[in-house]
Amino acid sequence: MNPLALSLILTTLLAGTLITMMSSHWLTAWMGLEMNMLTMIPILMKTTNPRSTEAATKYFMTQAMASMMLMMALTINLMYSGQWSITKMTNPVASNMALMALMTKLGSAPFHFWVPEVTQGVELTPGMILLTWQKLAPLSLLYQMATYTNTNLIYLSGLLSILIGGWGGLNQTQLRKILAYSSISHMGWMLIILPFNPTLTLLNLTIYIMLTLSIFMILTNTFTTSMSSLTLMWNKTPAMTIMLMTTLLSLGGLPPLSGFMPKWLMIHELTKNNSIIMPLTMAIMALLNMYFYMRLIYYSSLTILPSTNNMKMTWRFTNTKHTMTLPTLITLSNMLLPLTPMISMLE
Amino acid sequence: TLTLTSLIILTLPIITTLLQNNKTNCFLYITKTAVTYAFAISLIPTLLFIQSNQEAYISNWHWMTIHTLKLSMSFKLDFFSLTFMPIALFITWSIMEFSLWYMHSDPHINRFFKYLLLFLITMLILVSANNLLQLFMGWEGVGIMSFLLISWWHGRTDANTAALQAMLYNRIGDMGFIMMMAWFTIHLNSWEFQQIFLTNPKNTTLPLLGLLLASAGKSAQFGLHPWLPSAMEGPTPVSALLHSSTMVMAGVFTLIRFYPLMENNLTIQTSTLCLGAITTLFTAICALTQNDIKKIIALSTSSQLGLMMVTIGINQPHLAFIHMCTHAFFKAMLFLSSGSIIHNLNNEQDIRKMGGLYKTMPITSTAIIIGSLALTGMPFLTGFYSKDPIIETANMSYINTWALLITLIAMSMTASYSTRIIFFALLGQPRYPSLTQINENNPYLINPIKRLILGSIFMGFLISMNTIPHTTPQMTMPPHLKFMALAVTLLGFTVATELNNMTHNLMFKQPSRMHTFSTMLGYYPTITHRILPYLSLTMSQNLATTIMDSIWLEKMIPKNLTTMQKTAASLVSNQKGLMKPYFLSFLLSITLGLLIAL
Repeated sequence: MNPLALSLILTTLLAGTLITMMSSHWLTAWMGLEMNMLTMIPILMKTTNPRSTEAATKYFMTQAMASMMLMMALTINLMYSGQWSITKMTNPVASNMALMALMTKLGSAPFHFWVPEVTQGVELTPGMILLTWQKLAPLSLLYQMATYTNTNLIYLSGLLSILIGGWGGLNQTQLRKILAYSSISHMGWMLIILPFNPTLTLLNLTIYIMLTLSIFMILTNTFTTSMSSLTLMWNKTPAMTIMLMTTLLSLGGLPPLSGFMPKWLMIHELTKNNSIIMPLTMAIMALLNMYFYMRLIYYSSLTILPSTNNMKMTWRFTNTKHTMTLPTLITLSNMLLPLTPMISMLE
Repeated sequence: TLTLTSLIILTLPIITTLLQNNKTNCFLYITKTAVTYAFAISLIPTLLFIQSNQEAYISNWHWMTIHTLKLSMSFKLDFFSLTFMPIALFITWSIMEFSLWYMHSDPHINRFFKYLLLFLITMLILVSANNLLQLFMGWEGVGIMSFLLISWWHGRTDANTAALQAMLYNRIGDMGFIMMMAWFTIHLNSWEFQQIFLTNPKNTTLPLLGLLLASAGKSAQFGLHPWLPSAMEGPTPVSALLHSSTMVMAGVFTLIRFYPLMENNLTIQTSTLCLGAITTLFTAICALTQNDIKKIIALSTSSQLGLMMVTIGINQPHLAFIHMCTHAFFKAMLFLSSGSIIHNLNNEQDIRKMGGLYKTMPITSTAIIIGSLALTGMPFLTGFYSKDPIIETANMSYINTWALLITLIAMSMTASYSTRIIFFALLGQPRYPSLTQINENNPYLINPIKRLILGSIFMGFLISMNTIPHTTPQMTMPPHLKFMALAVTLLGFTVATELNNMTHNLMFKQPSRMHTFSTMLGYYPTITHRILPYLSLTMSQNLATTIMDSIWLEKMIPKNLTTMQKTAASLVSNQKGLMKPYFLSFLLSITLGLLIAL
């Protein structure tokens, strides 16, 4: 892409999210969201095949609808309370409508249908941006307005997200779709803890972003997008294969890796509040996620599929991709667990 | 004096068993004469009782005391036991003499006599018991001896299975007996009859049901009846002793013993009545088309037992007892004469292959005719004194009309199958092979039969004249009811004679469905002997293998979980990529969410 256009687009993307995160007036928040959506479209359409176009169109339609609903919610709020502050949406209609609009933007169930399709339709890098950066803005809005929403809706949507994220990922062979369902499931976890302790939502978000970025970058470096090409990764970059294994395990929430930290703290918080069945269900459903991560690990690092002797010795080409941030990210995503007491920093 | 005499009766046979197998030749005669003397001595207490109407209870040896339950060996000598003991001894004497002729060629004849003697002793224990424990000992004793005696020719499969059948059905009845004993221990803290009748408890349905079950098992009532026809696998003396006069009487006898309790419980009376009525009719139907002479007589025993149950059901235990005593005589005699026929025709038991014995075996045919007439209640023979009062009382009482009708139908069938035996065995032209060895001249054969003929003719009169009626019999009734029994019997006779005469002229054709039903004993043994083991075995196989291994370990969690997850996964990820349905679902979800939230 033209470097000037690319820099403009990326700057606008950055600006949009920052405007939303820094605003206390609903209108500017909404404006930031719109900017975000609009600049995302050309990013998604970086390659010009019809598949990407279709993905971009779907993305646009869904997000536009969500923005419209958000606007309606804001108008209703204005009508009933006469003010634009984000933290004081006392009218239930307005706050729940806004909640649902933001859930659509995030890709939680039952508004999750666009996430796998859009993620699959685009390349790895736009997909990465979609699944990580785009979560920041809506979640910051949710963080501020969640006290006045109906908690039943949040629980319902969260549980449903975890379920759908788990079951949906079982039937996939394409890695982008797998990561999309994983994103749905993590959104569910983040939503559920929101009424109890919003700090943990942000913690989960942070760690999730780190992990997803690591995985996407590993995949980008090795040009793998489906499970069948994953099986050949051992030959090209054995070190990265092992890193993929540990990062995936961390994404599944396995102690002693850092992905365990948010889950552990969340379950702790939920049981402190006397709900036992819900964290139990959540933890069991997270096993579904773990199953298909294990499948990926199995096919990439734990087994070598039968092949002819020619394929066992590939010619090593020099790597043209950026790997600058990758080691940091991987280290962070695997070894952060001992730093758990430091979450008080986020308060 | 009473005590001494009765004890001597009992010890005489016991002494003979102690001298077993020492003198191989004389043992048989010693046994027989011991029983003869025991009979003679037992008449003394009986006559004393008839003269003075004093009942006696002998209680001597204290066995043990369990908490508050005192168990001792006690004998009850009342009307029932004092009348039944001489009769039992008399019949056993006759049968032992008969088996000297019948089992003459058997190498183990000593053991046979020992078994018969043991059976007699246990039967006497049962009859004279004053507490339930002793009765139970006698009960089990006769059961075991019946098992050993039915399988006398144990090389034959049918004999073994028949003995097993007898044992199993008896065991099912024993469960009822034990339940009754347990109930009495818990509620009345005693097993003595005096205490039970004295306290006269109110809610006796449960133990009496147990008692009914026990009698049904021992006396072959409907539901537990198949063992009696199968028990004909044993030698004829065994059939005569056990399965016509004594053992199958044990069940009815125990029911009669409990008549004070049964007087108060209408439910039990009704169930006894119905059970007896069904038994009578069913076994009479089955007896109509049997071809084995011993099976016909066995089913006739079962039918008469049903009649006794009917009598108990209309609250006339004394009539039932009288019928029991008289029935012993002519049934034993019928069996002995059939044994004589069988042996003389070289072990031929099928009546279709007998015939024309009227002239060649006069004493036996006389015995059969007299026995059959007594069985059907010909006036002024033995059966008349017991059967006629039963039918009269039944007609006059406020009972189930249906049960009464069935009993009457069964009575006519009694006449029919008796006619059948007479017709096929005695009349007509001989149908057996021509080289005959018919010889009735052995005194061991003739004397028992002669004694039993005399008994069949006179005993009914003697017994009924010497008993004091406990309930006033109905003296006046309309003439059609009075003649009902006789009319029904004559009807049975004539119909059977007509039909049997017609068999000379019939062409052979397939038996009708009803005929097969009757010949196959109502399909009852066929069905129950196959279904019940099949069900238990398949259930246990399922329990052992399927439930544990295949269901719990394999299917319950692993496979079910797999299919569930696969279905769920394919459901969830089955998106077609059409936007309009997505938006529709968004709309629905938003509407629902707002509705929830409001």
